[in-house]
Amino acid sequence: MNWKFAIAAAFAGALFATAQPIFAEDVVIKVWARADRSGPLRAGNIVAAGDTLNKMLAAINSDKRVKIELNETNAKGYDDDALDLLKAFAVDKGPDIFVLAHEWTGAFAEAGYAQNLEDHIAKNPELWGDIIGPLWQSVTYKGVRYGVPQDSEVRMFFLNNDKLRKLGMSDKDIAALPAKVNAGEFTMNDLCDLAGQAVQKGVVKYGILHRPNAGPDFQMLTDAFGLEPYDKQSAKLQASKAALRNFFTWVKYCVDKKALSANNTSMSWDAIEQASFAGEEALVFFHGVWQVTAQMKAFKLAGKDDYFHKFTWINAPAGKKGGKPANLSHPIAYAVSAKSKNKDLAAYIVALASQPVPNMRHAVSTNHTPINYGEQSMPEVVEKGWALVAATPMLKYASFMPNHPKIGQYNAIIFKGIQGVETGRLSAQAATDFVIGELENELGKDVVIRN
Amino acid sequence: MTDFAQAQLRRQRANFALFLGPALFLLACFFVAPVIVDLFLAFTNMDRTLAVTAFTLENFERMFTRDSRLVASLVITAIFVLATLSIFNVTFALLLALVTTAIPKGFGAFFQAAWLLPRMSPSVVYALLWLWVVDPNERGLLNQILVHVLGMAPIDLRGNHPLFVIILANGFIGASLGMIIFTSAIRSIPEHLFHAARADGAGALAIVRHIIFPAMRWPISYMTIHQTLSLLVSFEYILLITGGGPFYDTTVFSLYAYRRAFESGQYAYGAALSLILIVIGVIAALVLWRLMDMRRLLQPPRIEVH
Repeated sequence: MNWKFAIAAAFAGALFATAQPIFAEDVVIKVWARADRSGPLRAGNIVAAGDTLNKMLAAINSDKRVKIELNETNAKGYDDDALDLLKAFAVDKGPDIFVLAHEWTGAFAEAGYAQNLEDHIAKNPELWGDIIGPLWQSVTYKGVRYGVPQDSEVRMFFLNNDKLRKLGMSDKDIAALPAKVNAGEFTMNDLCDLAGQAVQKGVVKYGILHRPNAGPDFQMLTDAFGLEPYDKQSAKLQASKAALRNFFTWVKYCVDKKALSANNTSMSWDAIEQASFAGEEALVFFHGVWQVTAQMKAFKLAGKDDYFHKFTWINAPAGKKGGKPANLSHPIAYAVSAKSKNKDLAAYIVALASQPVPNMRHAVSTNHTPINYGEQSMPEVVEKGWALVAATPMLKYASFMPNHPKIGQYNAIIFKGIQGVETGRLSAQAATDFVIGELENELGKDVVIRN
Repeated sequence: MTDFAQAQLRRQRANFALFLGPALFLLACFFVAPVIVDLFLAFTNMDRTLAVTAFTLENFERMFTRDSRLVASLVITAIFVLATLSIFNVTFALLLALVTTAIPKGFGAFFQAAWLLPRMSPSVVYALLWLWVVDPNERGLLNQILVHVLGMAPIDLRGNHPLFVIILANGFIGASLGMIIFTSAIRSIPEHLFHAARADGAGALAIVRHIIFPAMRWPISYMTIHQTLSLLVSFEYILLITGGGPFYDTTVFSLYAYRRAFESGQYAYGAALSLILIVIGVIAALVLWRLMDMRRLLQPPRIEVH
C-alpha cells in the first residue's frame, strides 16, 4: 500500500472519529396513533411539539434534533388498535408515545407498557397544573396516573327536527324534549315509539342509527337501565342479570317497533353517516358532539341558530319514568412507553402537545371538550366552540368507563348481545344468557355476576 | 464396501436431498412446525400481551364446560363443508367439466378460463364483488335485477340467508379446481372408446354413464378428500363477506378460533380451539381415506409398463 495514502487515510479516520459528536444527531421519538377523522391533531400536536422543541434546540445552537416518527394505524376502532399495539409491544416494536382510549390505560399499565407519570407530573407543575381535575380520573389505574387525557367529549342522540316536524311535532314540543328527557319524563321506550312511528309512517327509513361496531356509546344505554359495569370494592367488573334483561328487553322493543334496523351493525360508518346526514334517512343518530362539524358541512348550516333549527340533542333517556338520563365522557389519552429509552423526553413532548393553545386547536376544530381550564375562556373557544358550550351542561349526567384492563372485552360482549337481538337472532332473555355466559367464559374471575 | 457401492450410496443420498428435500422442508415449515407451536400454545395462558407465564389445562376446561358457541360453530361448519362440497366442489365441478369438454374445444377453453377468473383475482376483489351482488340496498346487483327486471321487492340475502351466501361464494370459486382435475381426467380417456361407443349407438347420457363416470372414481375421491380438508380450515371469504355474522350465523369453527385469538386477544384459547380443528381434520382425512379406499389408488400397477 502506498504509505502516503495510508497516512492520509489514518488522518481522515481520526478526524472522522473526533468530528462525529459535532455532527447533527437525531433523537427519534416514535408515535403510534390511530388515524381518526375525528381528531387528526391528536398525532398532529405531537409532531408540532417536536417542531417547537427543535426550535428551542436551534436557539441554543445545539445540533441535537428530535425527529417524530409517526405511525398512523388503520384499525377500525380504538379497541382493535389497542390489541394491535399490545402485539407490537410484545415483539419489542412499541412506540415511545401512544394514543389510546382512556379505558385501556389499565391494560397497558398492567402489562408494563405504560409509564407511571406521577413523578413527571409532580416535578413539572407549570406544565400540568391547568388540566381539568376530574379528567385525570380517566387515566388513573390503581391510584397512579399512567396517561394524560387528550380530550373529552359529550355524547348524545341527534334528532332531526325537520323529520320531527313532519311527524307533526310543533317547534315548542321539540324544544321541550331535552328537558323532558332530563326530568325522566321521556323514556327510552318513548324514544323508540317516536322513532318507530317515523319509520312506519314513511317519514324516514331508519328510526335510530348507532355505531356499527363495539364502542363506548352503548354504555350510556346500559347505564340508563342501571347496569353498573364496575364494582369499586372488589375492583372487578360486574354485570347484573336484571339490568341486562331490562336493557335487552328495550332493544327488542325497539326492533319490534322498527325503531332499530336489523342491518345497522352490518352497515359501514360511511353508510351510517350518509344515511344520518346528507341522505336524511334517519330520525335519530346516536354518537357524539364532534359530529357537529360534519353535520354543519352536510347540511350547509351557517351557525348556531341554523344548527339548532335542524337538530335537537338529548341525553340517553332514563330506562323508566322518573329515572335518570345518562351520558358518557370518553377521553382519548396520551401515554408514554415504559419501555422507551427516552421516557423523559417523550413525557415533555406530550406536555408541550397538551398546552392550552395546541389542545384548543384540536378541541375547536373537532368539537371535543378541552382539557385545560385556560382553554375555556380563549376567544376561539368562545367564538367557534359554541357547540361545546352548548353541550357541556349535558356532562352533568356523564360517567366514565371503568379503567379495568378487560373493559374492552366486556364491551365487545355486550355489543354482540345487541347485535344478536337487533338481527333477530336472540330474544331478550337469550341475549342476557348469552352475555352472562360469554362474560363468565371470557373474563372468568375478573367479573362478578349478580342477579 | 466397494468404491462403487459407496458412490452409489452417496448418489442416493444426494438424490434424496435434491428431490425430496424441498418438499420435506416445506412440509416441516408450514405443516409440522405450526402444529407443534399450536400444541404448545394450547397448553399455555398466552393472552393479548403475547406473554406466556404459566402452563395450564384451563383452555380445555373452558372449551368443554363453558363455551356455549362451540357446538353451534361445529354445526355451522358441518353444513358449510357438506353443502359447498356436495353441491359445488364435486357435483357442479363435474357438470362444468362435462359441459366444457362436450362443446367445441375453443368454447370449452373460453368457459373454463372464465370460471378460473375469480381464482386469479385477489380474494378481496372477489369478496367485494359478492358484497356488491348481495348488497341489501337497491344498488346491489341482485336487487337491481329483482327490482328493475322482475319488479320484485329488494331482498337482504346477506342478512337473512348468510350461510347460503357464503356457500355460493365459496362454491363458485371452489368448483374451478374440480373442473380442471375432472377435465383432465375426461381428456385422458382414450378417444377410441368414445368412437366405439358412438358406433355402438350410445347416446350422450350413456357415454357419460358408461365411459366417463367409471374414469372419474379416483379424481372424485381425491377432490372430496382434498376439498373437505380445505373447506374445514378456510374462512377467508367468510371473513371478507359476512365477517362471520350476522351475530355468529356464519362463524365456522376455523373463523371462531381466529376471532377468539385475534379479535379478543385470547391467543392460547384460539390455539386450543385450533387443536380441535387439527384433530377433526386428521380424523376426517383418515375416515375418508378408508371410505374411498384411496390405498388402491396408490398401489403400484399390476402390469409392468415398458
